[in-house]
Amino acid sequence: MMDETRNRILKLSLTARPSYVSVVTRFVEAGAAAFGMGEKDALKLGLASEEIFIYLCTAVCPENALDIECFNGLYYTRLTFHFSAPELNLRGLNVASTGICEDEGDLKDMGLMIASRSVERLHLTVEKANRISLAVTKEKTYPKIVERLPCPEAPNTLTLETADGEGVKRFALLVRQCSEAPGLPSFFDCPGRLADMVAGGEYRLITAMNAKKGIVGGVLFRDRMERIVEAFGPYILHAGEGKVTAETLLDACLSRIARTKALGLLSRSGLPPALEDRFEPLGHLVHYAPNRPPAEHPFFFRHLHEDPGCDVWSQGELTAWLEQAYDRLVLARNIRTLRNMGETRLGFSLFSAELQCERADATLRPLLPGADFTANLERHIRFIRKEGFLNLFFELDLGVPWHAEMIPVLTANRFQPEILLPFAGQADLVIFQHHDATEP
Amino acid sequence: MRPNLDALVPAYVREFDPYIPSKPDAELMKLYGSERLFRLNNNENPLGPPPGAQEVIRRFPPPQGALYPSGDSYYLREAIAAFHGLDPDQVLVGNGANEVIAFVIKAFCTQGDNIVTADKTFAVYEWVAVFSGIEARVIPLKDEGFDDIGMLRAIDPNTKILFVCNPNNPTGSYWSKERLKAFLDAVGGERIVVVDEAYFEFVEQEDYPDGVSLLSDYPNLVVFRTFSKMYGIAGLRIGYLVGDLAVVDMIRRTCVVYSVNRLAQEAALAAFRDDTGHIRRTRALVRESRAFLRKELAKLRLPIISGEGNYLIVKLPGSDTLAYRKMMREGIMIRPMTGFRYPNHIRVSLAKMEAMEAFVAALKKTLET
Repeated sequence: MMDETRNRILKLSLTARPSYVSVVTRFVEAGAAAFGMGEKDALKLGLASEEIFIYLCTAVCPENALDIECFNGLYYTRLTFHFSAPELNLRGLNVASTGICEDEGDLKDMGLMIASRSVERLHLTVEKANRISLAVTKEKTYPKIVERLPCPEAPNTLTLETADGEGVKRFALLVRQCSEAPGLPSFFDCPGRLADMVAGGEYRLITAMNAKKGIVGGVLFRDRMERIVEAFGPYILHAGEGKVTAETLLDACLSRIARTKALGLLSRSGLPPALEDRFEPLGHLVHYAPNRPPAEHPFFFRHLHEDPGCDVWSQGELTAWLEQAYDRLVLARNIRTLRNMGETRLGFSLFSAELQCERADATLRPLLPGADFTANLERHIRFIRKEGFLNLFFELDLGVPWHAEMIPVLTANRFQPEILLPFAGQADLVIFQHHDATEP
Repeated sequence: MRPNLDALVPAYVREFDPYIPSKPDAELMKLYGSERLFRLNNNENPLGPPPGAQEVIRRFPPPQGALYPSGDSYYLREAIAAFHGLDPDQVLVGNGANEVIAFVIKAFCTQGDNIVTADKTFAVYEWVAVFSGIEARVIPLKDEGFDDIGMLRAIDPNTKILFVCNPNNPTGSYWSKERLKAFLDAVGGERIVVVDEAYFEFVEQEDYPDGVSLLSDYPNLVVFRTFSKMYGIAGLRIGYLVGDLAVVDMIRRTCVVYSVNRLAQEAALAAFRDDTGHIRRTRALVRESRAFLRKELAKLRLPIISGEGNYLIVKLPGSDTLAYRKMMREGIMIRPMTGFRYPNHIRVSLAKMEAMEAFVAALKKTLET
């Protein structure tokens, strides 16, 4: 049924029963095709839906009600499974799970990990009352364009515009060709994709124009988390001094988001040097890719409001690291120490694994606490490394007390705190990076 | 069973992010590890209320805390009306000027309507409109002042109210009487024009208009005043609007009676009747502080935007929000201006010299680190 009020969503409601699998795959493939995905991409999404559905039917929520939502993000199709599951079965949603009767000695990859192989992203969220949303995203394939355009002249005057579709594509071509920024995101290779990213409403683009209506720069931004906006650029496309263009674009971006719920602007893809002193450096993550030397990805942050201060939870070695980080960033935090007083932790933990196959990135987030933190983390590390993910991160929300229980488990398993991202969770977020024992 | 908030709450409310006010001073001092706190963020009057109002507050009989106040600030409205030469029914008193902003928007706007104001001005006009499902058209300032031409161009058949902050918070720019009248003439009588004169008593320029004096010529004009700034009773929350009898009669329908407490009404009445030179003393303090800061900030080569009102804006070489945090450690609370769409600017209230000297010292330290 097509939802009249949200015309980019298709919905299917059914019971989690294996005999319905062909209904699901046909719905997904037909939906993806209707949203403009190519046949190959639609089939891959259909394959992922098949794996997930069968897994949910057998190991997670058999015979329960299941809603499947197919969302047209223009440059991607996202498939979301909404369901409730008994608490005991939730551990089966760990990507490293082999099912609820798993044998630790025989780690046969099953379940969600297989589904993740045919899509770009897999993401899990847990709402109240064990209500689960499991989403997989398949991106459209776009042609790479190498058309050359003349780089614009340095502007005497600047005007700012919200580019239309043709303007967005032109901007993408010019960025690839005229910007000196290192490490450009891959979407600039495919102007059509960038046009869809902006048209879909998730990304916004402000372009700076010279008197001849030529695009001389631009800044792209999107909501990255609930209270964090991520900026790409500003990119300067003209020769010569670009400080004024960069500052004008940054100010315009800040003004657009200043009175929204955003608390911070994050840059992970590089800034023009002239703007670095307008941001706060948060550190960097090292990114590994096959056949390429490791690359440092710096994080820059621009706070948008007054810091109201808050409590954060920590324990062990992380506390000293946090004290240093908060002092350097001048953030007012009351670090509260989580103490184990012999209480019993029951149940099985659940991690969300956001897998980005193209970048070989896996990001784990704790969703439910459990007595098996250590075993679960170790299993995830083994599975994720075995799947070829070279970059493994773990995000801890310092505003959630039980997250701090993970700290000694993380440090014992070669995770190091690298980035403190203010206001990115209920409080601040710490991004840990896993350092493989084989790294130099 | 939990309520289905997605279904219950209108999208324009769900999507609005609530403003989170600062924590109490004591909590902030603890968090930032500072032993003092100069509050230079809210343009409060460092002299406090006039002596008569201070006396009212000091002598407020505790048993009166049990009694409801006058529901419509009866005596205060009489005094305000007498001062301005108006009928008391042309006056509405609210729990701070923020409340009267809400009264006006509720009275005139429905979904599909819009208001017009500036992008870099007091945020509450925009906020109230947005969380009421009303479009806020925010017109960029021109030369740090309200752009009358731009605002007139933004008017369409659904425009109900135009908000002008005169002098503007935070830039201190103002429209002369001539310019305001030309604007009112151009708008005509089809729409309401609100002139917010929260900082009226600070302006000493001869061409600065008294909006209230224009009411008889422009019945679509509504003027806001407050007791929070010059009269120094921000903590009691009381402000008012005045307008044409028929217009105020409509606004009164959306007005919540009994929202202004007894102490606020009595202190405001006493403040209004002050004859000890409170306004003169405050103006002198503001002049002295402004001159001091102009000189010191020039030495630091920091550009400023300084007009009327008891505040000025300083442009920093880097992030204003980082400067806020660094200065909080020094016990100085300023207003970072990114939220006013002035990234890398801070607004500082003009206060006593001790606070101004502490501000300059903290700013120097902030710029060095």
